[in-house]
Amino acid sequence: MNLHNRRQFLRLLGASSLGALVHGCGGGGDSGTGDSADTGDSGSGGGTTPVTPPVVNVSGHVVVVGGGMGGATVAKFLRLWGGQNLRVTLIERNPSYTSNILSNLVLNGQRTLSSLAYDYARLRDNYGVNVIQGEVMGIDPVARKVSLGDGSTQTYDRLVLAPGLEFDLMPGLTDYQTIPHAWQAGPQTALLAQQLAAMPAGGTFVMTIPAAPFRCPPGPYERACVVADYLKRNKPGAKVIVLDANPGIAAERASFETAFNTLHAGVIEYHAAATIDSIDPVTRLVQTNLGSIAASVLNPIPPQRAPRLVQDAGLVNVNGRWAGVDVLSYESTAHPGVHVIGDASATTQPKAGHIANAEAKVCADAIVRMLAGQAPDPAPVTNSACYSPITATTASWLTAIYHYDPASRTMKPYVTGEAASITSGNYEDMFPWFNNLMADSFG
Amino acid sequence: MKPRHFTYVLALLGACVLFPVQAVRAESGRLLASNCFQCHGTEGRSQGGIDRLAGMGANKLIGEMKEMRAKTPGNDMMKVHARAYTDAQLNDIAAYFANVR
Repeated sequence: MNLHNRRQFLRLLGASSLGALVHGCGGGGDSGTGDSADTGDSGSGGGTTPVTPPVVNVSGHVVVVGGGMGGATVAKFLRLWGGQNLRVTLIERNPSYTSNILSNLVLNGQRTLSSLAYDYARLRDNYGVNVIQGEVMGIDPVARKVSLGDGSTQTYDRLVLAPGLEFDLMPGLTDYQTIPHAWQAGPQTALLAQQLAAMPAGGTFVMTIPAAPFRCPPGPYERACVVADYLKRNKPGAKVIVLDANPGIAAERASFETAFNTLHAGVIEYHAAATIDSIDPVTRLVQTNLGSIAASVLNPIPPQRAPRLVQDAGLVNVNGRWAGVDVLSYESTAHPGVHVIGDASATTQPKAGHIANAEAKVCADAIVRMLAGQAPDPAPVTNSACYSPITATTASWLTAIYHYDPASRTMKPYVTGEAASITSGNYEDMFPWFNNLMADSFG
Repeated sequence: MKPRHFTYVLALLGACVLFPVQAVRAESGRLLASNCFQCHGTEGRSQGGIDRLAGMGANKLIGEMKEMRAKTPGNDMMKVHARAYTDAQLNDIAAYFANVR
């Protein structure tokens, strides 16, 4: 532990344990520096609940595979909460992560991909995470070992997999090189933006949405709106055809129905319960239950599943696609010692970056306790939130808070809500949300 | 510093004697409070544009949350989150942030 980390560690210990304990008992008079109007009251306001010291001085090695929203967050909070003797190694194939959140704004030219890139320097320098750029080739959950593409291995006491998703090939396609799904922000996002910019006036943008569950439930509908708004201003007469495999809009229904039926009426043509029989990547003809549909620009969002690494490790045990987990710790229901967080796991929570961050914290807290020989927190809470741009200046939002339900052993929605209307205020609120979320995840 | 440190130790001992059973639940204050970090910054140290919670007095935090609970959310996401925690959970969260320096 370097000096910075040691200081931070001592500060944390003081802040979150001793001080809290004093106030919790009503024994302290120093309520903090940030709130001069409210002195000496935190004990009385907080009731008589004592706050015990966090578990510290656990030792061991946790390997985290995947440096997206969940992986970065779990690595950071393991170091923050685990104390100086908990070693954390994060293995990620790319030098930086490109945020899926806000990546629809690359399509209308409001953001660049580079403005959505987050590297691992702060996790390494400020939190002491050992960051390895490499590809994990295999997992041996019995020997507790992962092997990397360069032939090296990492042994672990606990393994956290945060590997994101794998995309099915849709019928008729052999890859997504020319017909991008752009559901993982990166080169495909740039390609789709180029294709939209080159689209003729009066052209047709066709997108397909897979049956739930898929990454970012509001995301496809958000994309339809952002693209419709862009086309209205730049490609007069152009249309957006949405072919949704679901029986109806799968998330944030009130906002998107308003958007489709009023704001973007005449531009977006929405079809529920659509089936895709085949896609011709050359002619851009889509064969569907609604007949043959011609696209100028085609954006099939494929069905998704836990990546091959998770499948090969024998961790996929829900619907043949996802890794079953105990949501008190995110430990796999197939292999002890292996935790799966984020999109690859099967839970009642959405597959999205904000809640992957929340799952990561529950997982980090549980791992620290488990390494100390304790049980995980028996009553975790997680929250999901996201803002959805509807035009270049307006947005809606969606949020849900989940409490652990011991009877069903699932995270159950406790409160949910969506924006009352589509406003410019929501659009402005979107950026501080995004910036704080990314800072909380990447340091 | 010495007298205050001594007070802490006394309080620590007092807590262990008086409230040993609640200790496990109370420890979740940190994990519960981490639900606020996504928007209000790690440990409540906001990056800007959203309120800082680090060091906020517990009564103030609890009071604002309870005031928001009573209102229709409209376009304010926080008013949904204000309804997301039991009073006991809110107390744990407030105690956590009050003690972040």
